[in-house]
Amino acid sequence: MDPGLRRGDEFRRMCVPEPSLTQRATPHGIASSREEPTGVIAAALADFAACDTTASLEDAKAKYLGKTGAVTELLKGMAALSPEQKKTRGAEINALKSAVEAALKARRDALANDSLNAKLASESIDVTLPGRGRGNGAIHPVMKTWQRVEEIFASIGFDVADGPEIEADWFNFTALNNPPNHPARSMQDTFYVDMNGSDGLPLLLRTHTSPMQVRYARMHAGDVTAKGKPIKVIAPGRTYRVDSDATHSPMFHQVEGLWIAEDISFADLKGVYTDFLHRFFETDQLQVRFRPSYFPFTEPSAEIDMKFESGPLKGRWLEISGSGQVHPSVVKNFGLDPEKYIGFAFGSGIERLTMLRYGIGDLRLFFEGDLRFLKQFA
Amino acid sequence: MQFSESWLRSFCNPSLTTEQLAHALTMAGLEVEEVTPAAPPFTQVVVGEILTREKHPNADKLALCTVNVGAWSALPLQIVCGAPNARVGIKVPCALVGADLSAPAGKPFLITQATVRSVESNGMLCSARELGLSTDHGGLLELADDAPVGADIREYLSLNDSKFLIKLTPNKADCLSVYGVAREVHAITGAPLVAEPVASVTATLTEVLPVKVLAPDLCGRFAGRVIRGVNAKASTPAWMRERLEKSGQRSITALVDISNYVMLEVGRPTHVFDLDKVHGGLEVRWAKKGESLKLLNGNTVALDENVGILADAQAVESLAGIMGGDSTSVSLDTANVYVEAAFWHPLAIQGRARRFNFATDAGHRFERGVDWATIPAHLDRITALILEICGGEAGPMDDQIISIPERKPVTMRILRAQKVIGVAVSGDQMASIFTRLGLTHTRSPEAFTVTAPSFRFDIEIEEDLIEEIARIYGFDNIPAMPPLARAVMRSQPEAQRSLHALRARMASQDYFEVINYSFVDEAWERELIGNPDPIKLLNPIASQMAVMRSSLIPGMLANIQYNASHKADRVRVFELGKVFARDASVVDGALSVAGISQPLRLAGAAFGGALPEQWANPKRTTDFFDVKADLAAVLPDDVRFEAAEHPLLHPGRSARIVLGNATLGWLGELHPKHLARFELSSAPIVFELDVAPLQQLPVVSHVAVSKQPLVRRDMALVVTNSVHSDVLVTTMRAAAPAYVRGVEVFDVYRGAGLPDGAKSVAIRVLMQDTERTLADTEIEGACQQMLSAAKQQHGATLRT
Repeated sequence: MDPGLRRGDEFRRMCVPEPSLTQRATPHGIASSREEPTGVIAAALADFAACDTTASLEDAKAKYLGKTGAVTELLKGMAALSPEQKKTRGAEINALKSAVEAALKARRDALANDSLNAKLASESIDVTLPGRGRGNGAIHPVMKTWQRVEEIFASIGFDVADGPEIEADWFNFTALNNPPNHPARSMQDTFYVDMNGSDGLPLLLRTHTSPMQVRYARMHAGDVTAKGKPIKVIAPGRTYRVDSDATHSPMFHQVEGLWIAEDISFADLKGVYTDFLHRFFETDQLQVRFRPSYFPFTEPSAEIDMKFESGPLKGRWLEISGSGQVHPSVVKNFGLDPEKYIGFAFGSGIERLTMLRYGIGDLRLFFEGDLRFLKQFA
Repeated sequence: MQFSESWLRSFCNPSLTTEQLAHALTMAGLEVEEVTPAAPPFTQVVVGEILTREKHPNADKLALCTVNVGAWSALPLQIVCGAPNARVGIKVPCALVGADLSAPAGKPFLITQATVRSVESNGMLCSARELGLSTDHGGLLELADDAPVGADIREYLSLNDSKFLIKLTPNKADCLSVYGVAREVHAITGAPLVAEPVASVTATLTEVLPVKVLAPDLCGRFAGRVIRGVNAKASTPAWMRERLEKSGQRSITALVDISNYVMLEVGRPTHVFDLDKVHGGLEVRWAKKGESLKLLNGNTVALDENVGILADAQAVESLAGIMGGDSTSVSLDTANVYVEAAFWHPLAIQGRARRFNFATDAGHRFERGVDWATIPAHLDRITALILEICGGEAGPMDDQIISIPERKPVTMRILRAQKVIGVAVSGDQMASIFTRLGLTHTRSPEAFTVTAPSFRFDIEIEEDLIEEIARIYGFDNIPAMPPLARAVMRSQPEAQRSLHALRARMASQDYFEVINYSFVDEAWERELIGNPDPIKLLNPIASQMAVMRSSLIPGMLANIQYNASHKADRVRVFELGKVFARDASVVDGALSVAGISQPLRLAGAAFGGALPEQWANPKRTTDFFDVKADLAAVLPDDVRFEAAEHPLLHPGRSARIVLGNATLGWLGELHPKHLARFELSSAPIVFELDVAPLQQLPVVSHVAVSKQPLVRRDMALVVTNSVHSDVLVTTMRAAAPAYVRGVEVFDVYRGAGLPDGAKSVAIRVLMQDTERTLADTEIEGACQQMLSAAKQQHGATLRT
């Protein structure tokens, strides 16, 4: 639609209240023989509408309301009338004058409006152009998962802990019931560094975040025995194993979970971890199974598998976590009496959770720093 | 461990399908990793006997055979064959016309009547590869002489079978044999278990090889016997070969095969010595430093007091429980043997093979524990097999019991088991589980007392029994219950910014988070960071991942290089991770390891345009001040930037970031000399910060806003270029009265109108009193005080 045309229509609508004016002008039918006021209004409207600048409008105004203007002339013509006629005629002319003034004002406003609109039109911008300035970066998907895992466990009161990545043999293995030479040590190929710990054994890169179980529990054992506060903690962090191919990275992230109190059972482990998976994947449409396994630090031990009921991975059992009831020797190493305190621990791969969550097929993508990959998580 | 389903079912045969059986094992803790058919599906292949063989009339390399296929054809079949070993009298698989070999061939392949070089051929003689049995394509698969002509090859070779590959956890030593797995199947399913295979041997010789066990902490029981007059060249019977092959064991010689067979069948590793190569008797003892042994596999290992050995009068002959020696090994010429079956204490074997960097099936079993009670029975079993297959005469068994483990009874309280599992498994259910597992027990109203059989090495404490109950009861039958716990409120300290919040801030400043390896190229540490002694990995997987990083920045430079090589012209990355350095001041603590500092750092790098290339802003390369502004999002307000040099950074464009008296981190432009190493066209701006101070976030303590008018005075001071703006500001602040609220640089100008080597620094001064309106004289006085201080200390002049 042409905005100019619309403005013109509005102007006409505002300025032509003729029917009511005519009615008011001829209340008793007397004026029917006198055509002047109606003619004046029509002429004024036409003249004002023809003006397209403020200056010409002021000229047109003089033609009606000036000293020799048409309305003024009508007023002058009243001198010869009787008082009774004056009264009627005066009212008619006043109405006419008001109508002309209203038309004038309307036209003035319309002209001002037109000029403002023209100015604004000249200032218009292309709103579809991109915004100015810098963009947004992104948090790494593994860290997104890390944070989500923390939030989910925090919702039932789990604390978060992290500690050293170069770790002592005792915390990584022996305290977890995996003494030197134990066959279970071959389950995890370990990186060693060129320094020995205070016990004379070589220091190592932690193969899991389970050492944090021991460190955290030793720091809080007093709260358990004195205040009856359970140990509820997750320990997410970097871990290392001598392994490198499409499905193994020499460095990866694990989240360890631990809940120790007077009565935390294997059934509770099943409840908590199943609930976690449902919350993490935001669906109840997945099955979880626990199957017997072996870890030196738990007994009974379970491998946790999950299976989606829909989506691209539907129907396949996927290993997601190791878990079990914390071994009494480990509880002893926490500084607690295993006779009195029991509970569960689990350890899950954060990359694994991330891959399943976002449909990522190749572990190596996490460590390449490729912006084309990372930008998808902005 | 791998074995065939039919072998397992010969001991315990539950009415379950292959798939159900695999599932049942997996759910009992014997994870079945793979079930593969013994052979791909094919049809109409039968045992054929080559009756005649003539040269093909029209082809040099082909032969014309007539083959007897029994009832399948009244007359012998004429078949063209190219195999080099096709000869009269042998029995081979013969695919009849109509046979479908598509599956082994990997493409549609039907045997039809064919004409090969004008000669009719009515079938195909097959190699092992053509049937998908192995990759061997050396010639026709030769069957045993007694193979029944015309028999279906699938029946004859038991090909309608499956191979199970199970992944055993280290505690399941008792399942390292087919019989052991069968015991488990019995426990899980209740299907009857056939008794272990036994044999009785009558000694016809009296000879005994003298054996002295000198180390009771190494060898708990030692049994052996002499067998003379064996035929080492005898061929391994087909049934044994088939079971070995389906277990992934290649057939070697009869004596080796028999030893392997017994190990797979009942889990008993044995060792067969060539008796004629043994000098005098044997001694079982710990090795002495300086001794060495050439092993069966050809490697020579240096020994010491930590390794158990068998030695004869002259030399060390075997690595106890792990591997035999080369000099006494059996060969095809061996006539007389000594067969050993012993109990080696697990602690005496554990870790030994790994020390020498290899693994053996025997060592794998002994370090987990092998039944000592069945040694005589198993020695008889292997002897009987040797006599049956290789012939010979056996001497009496020499069985010495030195120090066998004691099986202490273990008590399991019913309530404790129910509490740990979280289900009220009944006492009767528990009793039935123990019985099925072969765990002898007595029962009181509250508890069971179990004495583990000699084949179990994983029953020492109450939890070991609770695990058995839970495992056989079925983890699936344990409900998943949300725990009941007291609802106690928790909160994050407001004065602590979380690492996630820190990450979010960096991301909102247009940086992408990366995760780089903690181990890096040693050259990075030495040459970029100037760290002469990084912490080294003893066993790195690659030389460019050989030392622990003490800085995150080189990794970021590699990230830029990677992305630039993929056509990215603007790269902004950050990482939050630990760095590692030797530090004698660190002691063992709740969260520390002596001798190493492992602080968390935040580092980042910005390369290319200050802004993404866009229509609205001119193109400009990121500089120091862009990144300095980005860092305002994470740095405390009261940090200072001091010009300082760093080996990685441009000496004139690098700053140490200081908080109080401590260095918080570094910010600067990469030194141009490092550009080439990372193939960079322009220098990125990099930074690295200690994370701990960035997490401090003091809780706000509100200060009332003054209602008095704010006065602003701007002044331009001319100083030499070497005067740093923050020094100027500090001087002016120090000279200013209390009502001066702010002194800030808002412009710097160099060029026309100023002397060479000088700059004009425009400074805005804000003044406001909390109580009253400032008088003009106070305002002017303050300006004069600040100006004269700047003049005195830095030679500043007011620009006019």
